[in-house]
Amino acid sequence: MNKAALVFLIIVSAFGPPAHAQSTDANDIARQAEKTAFYQGEDGRARVSMQIIDKQGRTRSRDITILRKDEINDNSESGDQRFFVYFRAPSDVRDTVFLVWKHPQADDDRWLYLPALDLVRRIAAGDERSSFVGSDFFYEDVSGRSAEEDTHVVQDTTETYYILKSTPKDPNRVEFAYYISYIHKESFLPVQVEYYQSDHSKYREYTAEAVETIQGFPTVTRATMKDLADGGRTTLTYSDIQYDIDLSDDIFTERYLRNPPRQFFGEN
Amino acid sequence: MLWLSKAAAKRRKGFFVFSLAFAFILTTLALAPSVMPGTLPFLKPLTIDTDPENMLPADATVRVRNGELKTVFDIYDFVVVGVLNETHPQGVFNAKDLANVKTLTDYAKTLSYEQRAGTFANVIASDIIAPSTVDNIETESLGAVSFTWLMKTAPSTDQEAALIRDRMLKIPMYKGTMISDDGAALALYYPLSEKSISHAVAQDLQELIDTFENTGAVYHITGLPVAEDRFGSEMFFQMAVSAPLAMLFVFGLLWLFFGHVRIILISLLAAMASVICTMALLVLSGQTIHIMSSMIPIFIIPIAVLDDIHILSDFYDKYTPERDRLEIVNEVMADLWRPMWYTTLTTAVGFASLMLTPIPPVQVFGLFVAIGVFVAWFFTVTLLPAYFMSLPDKALADFGALQKSERAIRDQSWLGRFLRTAGPFAGHRAKSIIVLSLALVVWAGIGIVNISVNDNPIKWFETSDQIRVADRIINEEFAGSYMAYLHLSSDSAVNDEPFKAPETLRYIAKMSADLEAESNVIGKVSGLDDIVSTVYRELYNDPTAYRIPDTRPAIAQTLLMYENSHRPDDIWTFVTPDFQDAVLWFQLKSGDNTDMAQVEKLVGDYLNRNPPPRTLASEWFGLTYINLVWQDEMVTGMLKAFLGSFIVVLILTSLLFRSLSWGIMAMIPLALTVATIYGAVGWAGMDYDMPTAVLSSLSLGLAVDYAIHFLARTREIFRRQQAWEPTLREMFEEPSRAISRNVIVVGVGFLPLLAANLVPYQTVGILISSILILAGAASLILLPALISVFQKPLFHRERITE
Repeated sequence: MNKAALVFLIIVSAFGPPAHAQSTDANDIARQAEKTAFYQGEDGRARVSMQIIDKQGRTRSRDITILRKDEINDNSESGDQRFFVYFRAPSDVRDTVFLVWKHPQADDDRWLYLPALDLVRRIAAGDERSSFVGSDFFYEDVSGRSAEEDTHVVQDTTETYYILKSTPKDPNRVEFAYYISYIHKESFLPVQVEYYQSDHSKYREYTAEAVETIQGFPTVTRATMKDLADGGRTTLTYSDIQYDIDLSDDIFTERYLRNPPRQFFGEN
Repeated sequence: MLWLSKAAAKRRKGFFVFSLAFAFILTTLALAPSVMPGTLPFLKPLTIDTDPENMLPADATVRVRNGELKTVFDIYDFVVVGVLNETHPQGVFNAKDLANVKTLTDYAKTLSYEQRAGTFANVIASDIIAPSTVDNIETESLGAVSFTWLMKTAPSTDQEAALIRDRMLKIPMYKGTMISDDGAALALYYPLSEKSISHAVAQDLQELIDTFENTGAVYHITGLPVAEDRFGSEMFFQMAVSAPLAMLFVFGLLWLFFGHVRIILISLLAAMASVICTMALLVLSGQTIHIMSSMIPIFIIPIAVLDDIHILSDFYDKYTPERDRLEIVNEVMADLWRPMWYTTLTTAVGFASLMLTPIPPVQVFGLFVAIGVFVAWFFTVTLLPAYFMSLPDKALADFGALQKSERAIRDQSWLGRFLRTAGPFAGHRAKSIIVLSLALVVWAGIGIVNISVNDNPIKWFETSDQIRVADRIINEEFAGSYMAYLHLSSDSAVNDEPFKAPETLRYIAKMSADLEAESNVIGKVSGLDDIVSTVYRELYNDPTAYRIPDTRPAIAQTLLMYENSHRPDDIWTFVTPDFQDAVLWFQLKSGDNTDMAQVEKLVGDYLNRNPPPRTLASEWFGLTYINLVWQDEMVTGMLKAFLGSFIVVLILTSLLFRSLSWGIMAMIPLALTVATIYGAVGWAGMDYDMPTAVLSSLSLGLAVDYAIHFLARTREIFRRQQAWEPTLREMFEEPSRAISRNVIVVGVGFLPLLAANLVPYQTVGILISSILILAGAASLILLPALISVFQKPLFHRERITE
């Protein structure tokens, strides 16, 4: 039995009834989508080019490398993950690291290492819907919102998509009233997510603009988040993606902030 | 032109029908697009424009730059709501009031108004500055910087409310701006995508506030856009109330003088027809109703009534049932048509001269008053004779001086007796009068030197008005509600991100602190340095670390930290993403142009005295600054317009009298009136603002009117009398009675404007009255004095040489 299959079985047992590709139970679809979008492989790496474009068309670029590792505790996956987000450019933020210990059942731990000040500071934001390093993506859009935080209803099923309407269980921790996601039936990737206010006006929109299958995993390689209220948008373009690169746990600790594990950063 | 009056007197029915039809058609056309939109697609509906920005043409550099820079820095004009609670020991920082503030802000986020078909203007929710929409930045525990919503939900206890207060006071960006320095009051800033909705927003907010349970809290809504927008609504009301009220007053006074309602009714109708036609033409031309054009009726009424009074006066003095009425009417018109035509010309020129100013609303005002003057003239010289002819004999029973005082051939009214006794005095004490006038000119000169050019849209409201009260309180409690923005840019062609450099940010921080200390008007200066220093302080959890970090990467990384907050885009309201341009937000405690001018000078001097570490170009923008620019243009523009029209009117009077010396004589009362009025404005410490400036044209029109009538009649009488003394006596019969009646009717008739609750209307009311009384007095007193001194050269053409 290979490792991937084992992980699959563990996930399946952890999340209840098997998530068949044909399942139409809303919660299952949401869980499956979360898994496809954020839990492919055991770990992975991607180089991300971030373009923040404001409504005047002014662009700010950031070039980062993201390392990710899923945690397995006591033979059952807890859903906990660790991220090491390393800034390559622009030059004045080079070597800055954003470190995350994600706890789906509790507040995540986030640290920022500022090399110019040689300072590590935890970021406490009260919620997970503050900006991800100044972009139109919220922190939670990048780290993944747990399917358990919302109640899901299948609104419609088309030939290609499950259309899910998700309403927050704790509306005080989010700014949206609900969101609608278009989840691809085959890959279970959320291809479009629309966020609505209580007056049913749409104010944010996520679109997966390019998908590739990498090492057998359907993977979003370009995604855009639009802030419809202020007219800005941010595009993330992923390259140099690799799964299952055997990252060790200690990379995601303070020790590595000052000495980034460049051997895992891939090309360049 | 006499043929016109004669024709009207003959074919009176035709003229009545024509005038009525003319006024009716114009009014219908003007109102149609507003009442029944779409029926006449080529006509624009009536639109009200209260935006002082429009004092400058849309393509004026300062406006274009203002628009561009507001876009670049994502800056909007906003409605400010000040919340105070003097009954609670913690001020507004108690659970109930903060809950209301949260409700108010949540409601404000939803406000949106349809502007034109399909386009909406709204409150920009993401840029609102209120406790529930901003982040608290603080060190949460050792090594953690927290960006949590300052007030995600309303506090449930007063202790929690106090905690929110303490957090706000610690953040320099909020202190003085959102929270008063004493920590008792709150100011909420609601940015608007278009400032034209500010009055609607203010009203909707007020409506919600009125439903709040009484906690002792007081809400003050203000901000420049609110004042400007509310002025527009009030203006419409004033236009509908003040002008008719003035008209009624004039009517009452005419009644008092001439006794017969049926006879004076026509002059009221003629004035109304003139106003209606002019306003209809204004609307038809597609012009908007601006603060200036809303005053057009108030300017046309006295001018229209002026000629009426001359005709009524002469007719009153000449009428007797024994003579053929047509003959009397023609005689009256023959007496008057020349001075009336010339005074119409001079008045029109006076107003048309306003087109020389670079301010579009003033140009429109000048043009349409000039048109109105001609319309009024036309109705006066046609409708009055036609009407006199159509009156039955019995309506005129007991009308006129001749019938009233059968014993004497002379007018026995108190006015007639007074003028007869006091009048010749002017001719006999000529030298003292001239000396006194010269003294008056000197006194006025000193006043004019001290005149202060100033305007402030907030001050268009009375001191007791809620907008003024709110403005006063907010500017006492907070750093200031008037925004001016200083754009700083590096002129270097290479992009080297000057505003990420520690030395530049330190310079800005020091400049802000120095300017705040140096000026009483500058309440607070905010810039990128505030964000950087605040975050840097929290990174180290050390109050002494409130400073700019030492290196560029350190600044960039401090900002990156801030970008993980809920409002990362606040950075871009202070600097462009390429860090080549920055803006400093100046919160001023006063919107007076003089204060803005002082700030502009202060900052200019500062930049010269303390050169920045690298060359930076500076440039101001924002509403407060735009007001200053058009004020400056207005002053020079008005002066140019006044001098230009003075010369044209002098040429006209010289042509009329076929003599330069008589032409100059006609200008003297006017020169004295204008000098005295502006001298008095200077001495009284009143601001020389737009309405005040425009009045110089009215004096040009009216003061010269009296002089022309007086001088024309004097020369006519002298030609008959061939001696000064009897001429003087005769002048103080009918001619001076007509002038005095005019002064009283029109001068007093405008006093009801003092009851208006908008200051510009009050100013216009009191100044029109003063101008008329002064111009009348100057004509009746100074002119006889001057003539008696210079009678030899003046009358050389009238004298029949033996």
